Amino acid sequence: MDTFTQLTLNGLTEGSTYALIALGYTLIYGVLKLLNFAHGDVFMVGSFIGFGVLKVLGGAGDPKLPVWLLLTLMVRGGMVGCAILGVAIERFAYRPLRDAPRIAPLISALGVSFFLANSFQLMFGAQQYNYGIFFLDGGSLFSKGFEIGNVHIPLIAIITILSAFALMIVLWLLVTRTRAGKAMRATSFDREAAAMMGIDIDRVIVFTFVVGSALAGAGGVMFALRVPTAASIGFVIGLKGFTAAVIGGIGSIPGAMAGGLILGFAEAYIAGYWTTRWSDLVIFSVLILFMLFRPSGLLGQAGIKKV
Amino acid sequence: MRKTKSFPLLAAVVAATALAATVSAAPAGAKSTKAAAGISCSKTLDIGMLAPLTGAAGFLGQEQLSWAKYAVKTLPSTMGLKVKLVPGDLPVEKGQADAQAVAQKFISDKSMVAVVGGSTSGSVVSTSTALTQAGLVQVSPSATRTTLTKGDNQQATNAFFRVVPADDFQGSTDAAYMVNTLHVKNVVIFDFQEPYSLGLGGEVEKDLKAAGVTTSHQSVANTVTDFSSFVTKVPSAADIVFFPTQSPGTAEAFAEQLVQQGKQAKVFGGDGSNGLGEFKAPGSYISSFAPSITGFAADKAIIAGWQKDNKGKPVGSFGPAAYGAVQVILAAVKAACTKGGGTIAKRSLVIGQMRKVHIDKGWILGGKFSWSKTNTRDPSVQKFYILQIQSNGSYKLMN
Amino acid sequence: MSEPDDLQAPSGPAIGQDEWVARHGERRSQRAGLIGEIEERARRAPWWAWLVLFVAAFALLPVVSHDGYIRRVAFDTTLYMLLALGLNVVVGWGGLLDLGYAAFYAIGAYAYAMLSSPQYGIHLPTLVSIPIIVVIGAVAGFLVGLPSRRLIGDYLAIVTLFFLQITQTVLTNGDQIAGHDLTGGANGIINVDPLHLLGHPLVVQHGGVFAVTYLYISIATFAVVYLALHFVNHSRTGRAWRSLREDGLAAEAMGMPVNLLKLMAFSFGAAVAALTGTLFAALQTSVFPLQFSFPLVITVYTMVILGGQGNLAGVTIGAVVVWVMLEFLRDPGDARILFYVVGVLAIAFAFGRTRKLAVLLGSLVVFGFAAHAIADAINHDWVSGPAANGFDHALSHWVIIPTGLANWVGPVSYIGLVCLVLALTLLPARVRYVALVPTIYLGTFVWENVLLAQPDATRYIILGVMLIGLMILRPNGLLGERRVEIV
Repeated sequence: MDTFTQLTLNGLTEGSTYALIALGYTLIYGVLKLLNFAHGDVFMVGSFIGFGVLKVLGGAGDPKLPVWLLLTLMVRGGMVGCAILGVAIERFAYRPLRDAPRIAPLISALGVSFFLANSFQLMFGAQQYNYGIFFLDGGSLFSKGFEIGNVHIPLIAIITILSAFALMIVLWLLVTRTRAGKAMRATSFDREAAAMMGIDIDRVIVFTFVVGSALAGAGGVMFALRVPTAASIGFVIGLKGFTAAVIGGIGSIPGAMAGGLILGFAEAYIAGYWTTRWSDLVIFSVLILFMLFRPSGLLGQAGIKKV
Repeated sequence: MRKTKSFPLLAAVVAATALAATVSAAPAGAKSTKAAAGISCSKTLDIGMLAPLTGAAGFLGQEQLSWAKYAVKTLPSTMGLKVKLVPGDLPVEKGQADAQAVAQKFISDKSMVAVVGGSTSGSVVSTSTALTQAGLVQVSPSATRTTLTKGDNQQATNAFFRVVPADDFQGSTDAAYMVNTLHVKNVVIFDFQEPYSLGLGGEVEKDLKAAGVTTSHQSVANTVTDFSSFVTKVPSAADIVFFPTQSPGTAEAFAEQLVQQGKQAKVFGGDGSNGLGEFKAPGSYISSFAPSITGFAADKAIIAGWQKDNKGKPVGSFGPAAYGAVQVILAAVKAACTKGGGTIAKRSLVIGQMRKVHIDKGWILGGKFSWSKTNTRDPSVQKFYILQIQSNGSYKLMN
Repeated sequence: MSEPDDLQAPSGPAIGQDEWVARHGERRSQRAGLIGEIEERARRAPWWAWLVLFVAAFALLPVVSHDGYIRRVAFDTTLYMLLALGLNVVVGWGGLLDLGYAAFYAIGAYAYAMLSSPQYGIHLPTLVSIPIIVVIGAVAGFLVGLPSRRLIGDYLAIVTLFFLQITQTVLTNGDQIAGHDLTGGANGIINVDPLHLLGHPLVVQHGGVFAVTYLYISIATFAVVYLALHFVNHSRTGRAWRSLREDGLAAEAMGMPVNLLKLMAFSFGAAVAALTGTLFAALQTSVFPLQFSFPLVITVYTMVILGGQGNLAGVTIGAVVVWVMLEFLRDPGDARILFYVVGVLAIAFAFGRTRKLAVLLGSLVVFGFAAHAIADAINHDWVSGPAANGFDHALSHWVIIPTGLANWVGPVSYIGLVCLVLALTLLPARVRYVALVPTIYLGTFVWENVLLAQPDATRYIILGVMLIGLMILRPNGLLGERRVEIV
């Protein structure tokens, strides 16, 4: 039972991070019909920005601010930095290609992904960077918490999961309750019609990238709180995020959240109960099956393409 | 139409010439490198270095490069030689093809007499055949894969030498320490689906099983950074997790997650987890093929000199081995020069001299150096050192 | 009746005759000046002229140079040329974005390794195993292409990418499949036989130097594949592929077997990759799972797109240009020379032979010397760093290379350069022209001090920037045709 609890906790923590990335993918795909390959690398940049903020504020060994403020600033810094990066990517790499054949922005996205990952490797080396949160405040983030059975649930896990869910709720409200969100939904439904209705498409797209990239940035910081980050993690994380988005149904926000959590749980349970060796293989195969037989995912709607 | 007609005609003529030329040239191509006259010892000689200078293992290669550079700066003048170090970058992410291309570059360098490297066992496998055929001796400061010099199916050639002991010693030393000193009952062994950890982990598992210790095995893909689920699988009764990663940061993260999930097992890393300042979880162990030379009084001057050139950098254990490799190479080259009366007639003569090298004093890794009697391409002193991480992050020698 | 174009002095038939009228469209789309002439010639050269040119160039190379390294690079280039040809079939002719291309390369290499090594004890003669492997590759391509019936564009790309990941996982863990050692696992398969011709093994190295035989074999293979693909392209299948690529729906409405065509594109591409894999495995005499990775796919894509999708000669040129450039980047001395030569050529190209160019270059030189002198005056350490060889003396007083770089200088200057370059695209022309000078100078600084220090990351940065730039500025590459997608 303890194993199950621990694995569930692992799955929940990983899954909420995947959900944040999947949300970004879904939003951008919905509006631009483009799979943003560079999204995983935006996530990586977020984790590095968080590291930078931490170092500026004294590092884990000697923080100059109370812990909660430090963490908040790191996440905010990651979100803002990645939002700016996302806007820049859209403006310079995707906007000129908006009317080009579909293959063009995809390849441009590949180029951006490579550029980001290797630029960071150039600047910061290929080694891993550990936030050192473990030692922060005498390790209190890990020693405090509560117990379920024999399993200790550390404070940091609670913070991570709750923050991720809070962000998702904010996003949900943003998309459903505000005018900007409505414009986003309209654009993703039919771009030409939305333009004819007087919606400024460029603004909507920029807004989408801001939101999506900010989520990725937040996810990056939260990810790096638990696990060391490096310049090369973007690729694999991007794949996982995409898997989550497709499983949940690309274009659907609750779908992305569900897909992320499902992926997190799947990874945790497969690795924990069955085999660590083939867990990647199982997940990728499941994804391919989904794409072949249920491309709309679990919560998406089957799209009909008009010709 | 008329303008373009000449183009194909011209091309056809070119092709015909090419064909004729190649037929006559093909056999001649290979001989030319042998025809080079002997290498004069009064001119600047080149020593190549094959190490990962960039990429994930870049820290290792850069450390080795800094020590090799220092050796080349200070030692040759005392022996009456002029030497230049030519680095060749072999990132571990790149494959064989890259390694072989760089090896070809070294082979075409007429003044090159020896190679320090490859630093990684994989690069040795890729380059040894070509380099040996070209007569270049290779001395590695860190390639520890057992099958390079031992066994039936040796992966390196007989011109490959190393100044550090092989992994079979590492595995058996680690296992012996665990059984005899730590009295372990239950050990989990990890591998990362790549040759280093598979070899080392396999060796340790074998010895532990023979000693009656309960072992379990987990295999993890090289790209995984989040070990939380694997940590969950570690039984609470486990005393030690043998974690032969090549990245100290990963070892640190894993150790932290063990504590997080309340497991009592301690992490035991191989020489790849050796990273002062990065792997600092108290109570963990690492094994290293070289002791920290700061403990040797005879090396004080060398350390001081190196630190002057490399301000602020710590003295690791990978670097001094590279210095030692250069020492050995220079001894062999000097012997070849003396024997040849100031000229090295063929590069391969250095290989012959290498077999006879022995250093009586001044060897950076402990005074004296000679080749092992049983396997003449491994060092005679084959000892692995176990270090434990103290609560302040420093490493303490345990054996 | 319209007047003849003033730009073109009519050397051929005059107005009123069919040929001139028929060529009217060409003249309108032709660019003026030297580039136009070259494009025109390139388009009108007979197709086999290119092939002869390539073969001759590579065949002559061992005559000109006895350097094993150059021959080795030439061999690697031919492998990439082959890969580019194969990818061209899938992407350029079929219009399918296949991101898992390296998987077929791996399958070919591993198939050869399994058939000709101690792994299973099978040692098939080369002439028997090569056709088998080509068929295996084609079958693999067919199977991977099956999902393409239901997936388009981005989705197909992702599925193929996942196929690549799956292949890598299977190959890496292949020594544990149900307790059997199938693929040698992470240690790969070693002691693979070299190629045998009529019973004689072809040695890979003579005295350590790379043997010329493999270069000739690979260039011969290239010629064969080139010819084969050319004839396929000019057959019904090729025409069908073109129509499929231009407008899949219309093609289907016209009765083309669209699904079958897609599968064939996949198969052909995979077969070529598998063949290349054989050459690779035979030369390396071993195979490891990690060599066939995603960066390889990106490299080949850059080659195809740079050369021009859909054009055989184009992708070959693309392969040569990209790979030679990447080889130059390996050595800091060569990379330096490459940078300055390419830089000057690019500026000259962008501005043409105008006064603007002279002013720009002049002010750049002056700016450089001034900046260097100022930096020297402030602190001598700032300019006395070691420079890689090549153009040493000429540039030592122009470029700033500090002795030791503080940690923050690298990232800050790099990010500053990227932001400056991006900002340049937004500025009005005048301001842009003026701002070019400090930007270019900063670029040289970043190149010398930051980019050269890590050639491995630099090569992928350059590839990434090339991909983005090509897509935005010239998606048809060097020799391709501009396409307009009909939606």
